[in-house]
Amino acid sequence: MVDLSRRAVVALLGAGLAGTAISWPRLTGRDIPGRGDDALTVALFGTQQDAVARQALVDGFQRKHPDVAVRIVPIQGQDWGEYFAKILTMIAAGTPPDVVTVATEGTQLFASRLAHPIDEYVQRDAAEMQEYFDDVHPALIESFMYKGSLFQMPDNFNAANVFYNTGALERSGMERPRDDWSVDDFFALSRAMKSGSEGRFLPYFWTNRLWGGVVPWLYINNTSFLTEEKASGGDWFWSRFYPDQEPRGGGFLWEHADALNDRTVESFAVLQRMVAEGLAANPAQGGGNELVALFSSGQVGMTPAGGFWVQGLSEAGVANDDYDVIFFPKMASQRHQFGAGGYAIMETSKRKDEAWEWLKYCVSYEGMSIAHTKPDSSIPRRSLNTELYGAGLGPAHWEVFYDTLDKFPDTAPIPAPPQQAAVESALTKNVVGAITNGPGGVRRGLEIMQRDLEIALGGR
Amino acid sequence: MSTTLTASPTLAEPNPETDVQPGRRKPRLLITLFLAPTVIGLGLFTLVPIIASVVLAFFRWDIITAPEFVGLDNFARLASSPTVRVSFLNTIGFVATAVIVQLAVALLLAILVQSRMPTWLRTFFRSTLFFPLILSAASVSLIMAYLFNQEFGLVNEVLGWLGIAKVGWLTTGFGAKVVVLLVYVWQNFGFTFLLFIGGIAAIPKEVYEAASIDGATGWKQFWQLTLPLISPTMLVASVMAIINALQIFDQPWVLTRGGPGDETRTAVMVIYESAFRQLDFGGASAVGVVLTLLIMLVTAIQFQLSKRFVFYG
Repeated sequence: MVDLSRRAVVALLGAGLAGTAISWPRLTGRDIPGRGDDALTVALFGTQQDAVARQALVDGFQRKHPDVAVRIVPIQGQDWGEYFAKILTMIAAGTPPDVVTVATEGTQLFASRLAHPIDEYVQRDAAEMQEYFDDVHPALIESFMYKGSLFQMPDNFNAANVFYNTGALERSGMERPRDDWSVDDFFALSRAMKSGSEGRFLPYFWTNRLWGGVVPWLYINNTSFLTEEKASGGDWFWSRFYPDQEPRGGGFLWEHADALNDRTVESFAVLQRMVAEGLAANPAQGGGNELVALFSSGQVGMTPAGGFWVQGLSEAGVANDDYDVIFFPKMASQRHQFGAGGYAIMETSKRKDEAWEWLKYCVSYEGMSIAHTKPDSSIPRRSLNTELYGAGLGPAHWEVFYDTLDKFPDTAPIPAPPQQAAVESALTKNVVGAITNGPGGVRRGLEIMQRDLEIALGGR
Repeated sequence: MSTTLTASPTLAEPNPETDVQPGRRKPRLLITLFLAPTVIGLGLFTLVPIIASVVLAFFRWDIITAPEFVGLDNFARLASSPTVRVSFLNTIGFVATAVIVQLAVALLLAILVQSRMPTWLRTFFRSTLFFPLILSAASVSLIMAYLFNQEFGLVNEVLGWLGIAKVGWLTTGFGAKVVVLLVYVWQNFGFTFLLFIGGIAAIPKEVYEAASIDGATGWKQFWQLTLPLISPTMLVASVMAIINALQIFDQPWVLTRGGPGDETRTAVMVIYESAFRQLDFGGASAVGVVLTLLIMLVTAIQFQLSKRFVFYG
C-alpha cells in the first residue's frame, strides 16, 4: 500500500480542487449552448454544417439588428420525432431555445404546449407583412394555424409529387401521363415500366412514413386515416391578409380515428393490389436512405418526392433529363399532401420581440434569398420558388412543385395532431399488415389501425 | 488527529473497533479517496436515476407540465395496453431463442477453436469471431437492412440464383424476427465465445488424459467432462446473455422499427417510444420498472437453479 504523506494528501486535494474549478462550466452545464449566453438562441433541425450555412442569414439579420446576438444550435436527428425529443430534452435541462424550426409534424404539438402565438406581432406589423403573404399560398399559412392563432410562417415546404425515371418511361413505350391521370393509368404505366425493364426493377418505391407514404393515396381519394375538421377563428387573419379569398378557418383539427372509412379502405386496397402485383415495394418502416441510389441507377421507376430532392439527385450525379415530376394520379379527387417548415417562438423565451424580428427577417425576401440558395426545398414565396427552380437545375416540369397548391387548392398538410408521434406510430406499424395479407387482410389491418389510433388520440 | 497518527505501538492485543494503528488511517483515507469517484458516480448516475424512475412510474409527466401523482394508473395502463403486452411477449420469446442460439454457437466455436490447430490460426479465429462485438449495433443493423431488403437486397439476390423466390425478410413477422435474431446473435456471441474459451482453457489436460485412459472420448468427454467443468462459466455467460437480451433495442429499432405491426417491438423500444416520442415519462418508467423486476426475477431463478446444475469442483 502506498504510504501518503500529509503533504501528498494536501497536494492531491489541491489538484482535485483545481481540476474541479477548471471544469466548473462543464460540471454545472454552463457550457451547454444557450445557457448563460446573452444571445437569441435558434434551434434548427440539422448538422453543424447547416448551422454554419446559416451564418449568412445571421449576418444579414445582424445588419438590421446589430444589437441582437444570435446563436444557431443545430440539432441532429433521424426524423422530426427525434428532433422534437431533443428540443424537449433542452427544455427539461433548463436551456430552452428562444426560436425553433418546426415542421408540420410538430406544429400542433408545439402550438398546443410550447410555442407562443404570433398573432399580435403579425397584426402589429401588418403593413410590412402584407408583401410576404401576397407571395405565399394561403394553404401553407393555414397549416401553421392552430385553434384560430398563427404560430409560424412557412419558410419551406414540399408537396408529395411523383418523380419518375425518364429512362424507365421511355422503355415502357408510354408517354408522360396527363396531369389528371387516373389510378388505372398509374397501374398501366407501372406494368409497362416493369415489362420494359430488365433485372431488379420496381415501378413504384415508397417509404412507410407520414410524408409520402399512404397519405397521398388517401388524400387523392378525398379521405384520410383521421377525421379532418377546421377549428373556428382565424378570421382576423384571413380578412386582413387574404381578403379576396374564402376564409380558411382557424386551422386543422384531427381529433378522431377514421381508418375504416370506405374510401380509406379503398385506397389501402389500391396499395394492396399494387404490392401484390409486384408493382410497388413492400415498404419497410423508417427512412428511405437507399432511395437516391435506387432511383438514380434506374432500379426504381417512380417514387413520391418533392422539390427537396432536386439538389440531392443533382449531387448524386442525376442529370436534369434523367427524371421528371408529375402530380399524383386522381381518384375521388386529386388533393395532394404537403409538409412545411418554419420558425416558432417558444413560450418560455424572454426575448420574444427579438425572436419575432428573427422570424420576420427569415421570411423576408432578403432573408429567404440568403437562406435558400440551392433547390433543396420548395419555397413558400412563389417568386423565389420560380427563381430557384427556374434557374436550370431540376426536372423539366418543375412548375409542378408550386402548381400543386395552385391547381389543387384543397391540398392539405400532413395530418399531425398534438399526439403526432403516437399517431404516426399507430399508422406506420399497421400499414404493412394492412397491405400484405391479401385483399381480405386490408379491412382486418385497418381495424387494428383504428384501435391503435383511438388509443393514440385518447392519450394526452 | 496528530495524536492518533503518531501513537506508539502497544503491547496489548489490538482492538480493531477502537484502536487506530499507526499507518492504518492513511490507507483507509487513500481507499476512500480512490473509491469516492466511483461511488459518487454510481450514486449520481445509476442509483439516483433508478430511484427517480421508480418514483416517476407513479406520476404523469411530459417534461413540459408539472408531474402529477396518478398512483398505479401507469401500471394499469401498461397491463391493458396490447402494444406493451406484445412487446413483453416478444422480448421473452426473443430472449429464450437468442440466448440458446448465442450460447450454443459460442460454445461450439470455442470448442472448435480450442481444438488442435496452429497458434496463429487460433489467434486469427479468436480475433475474427470477437470482432463483430466492437462494431456499432446501429451501423451493423443499417447494413443488414440493406442486405435483407426484399427487393434489392443481396440475400434475396443470392437466393434468386438458387431459384428461391424473394423472401420478405423484414416485411413479414417471421422473417423480421429471424433477421433480428441473426443480427443480434452474430454481433453478440463474441463475448460469450471468449468466456467459453477461458473456461475450456482452464480445464487441466490431465483430466482429459485420465478420461481417455478410462475409455471416454469425443461426445462422452464433452458431455461428462467439459460441460460440467465449464458450468460456472456457463452460468456467468447465460446470466449476462439474458440480461443483455432482455434489453434489446438497437437491432429491431434500426432494422424494423418494431414492425411489421408489433412483431419485433421489444420492451425497451416501448420505453423509448413512450418517453421520447410520446412524452409519457410516467408510462415509460412503469415499463422500465416491470422490465427491471423481470430481469431480477430471471437472474434469481438462474442462481437458484445453479445450485443444482453448476459444478464448482
